[in-house]
Amino acid sequence: MDTVTYPNQKVIDFLQKRVIPLQLLSNAEPYVSDYGVKWTPNLLIIDAEGKVYHRAVGFIAPVDFIPWLLLGMGKAFFEKDLFKEALECFETLITEYSYSGSAPEAVFLRGVAQYKSTHQVDGLKNAYRVLQEQYPGSDWAKRAYPYWLLP
Amino acid sequence: MPDKVQWVLDYKEALAKAKFEGKFILLDFFNPE
Repeated sequence: MDTVTYPNQKVIDFLQKRVIPLQLLSNAEPYVSDYGVKWTPNLLIIDAEGKVYHRAVGFIAPVDFIPWLLLGMGKAFFEKDLFKEALECFETLITEYSYSGSAPEAVFLRGVAQYKSTHQVDGLKNAYRVLQEQYPGSDWAKRAYPYWLLP
Repeated sequence: MPDKVQWVLDYKEALAKAKFEGKFILLDFFNPE
């Protein structure tokens, strides 16, 4: 990460603007034990109370890293019931990084966040349709399958 | 914008900054070797 991903200028700009970047050594106790770190790189999105919302183990290339961050931020907003902010993250990810491995999950969660904020099933049905059309082999397309049955 | 990531290296400092700035934290556990 330090030799490839973090020197990327787009990654630098995103990290400085949108999150607090915190780096700890792989032997930094008690944090390594508290967060169950067994292998590095070990990347987490946490909030100001230390709660974990998103995690990855292993290298992430620059082209995939910003969408991974957006997904994590969106999941954190979502879990805090901040659906407008969550939807902004998911929409940016889906629109600007549709190629990324994070996109199918963002499509799924966008649908759920739309449903949670409007109580209309259209978002869920749209998530199913987009996942079937654009990411048919993804796990998230399978998880959205029941939404096809909604009225 | 800086030309490299300005890492916070202290856990409690990062939590305080996150609370003050209303941001989430990217926590990267790394092995320098």
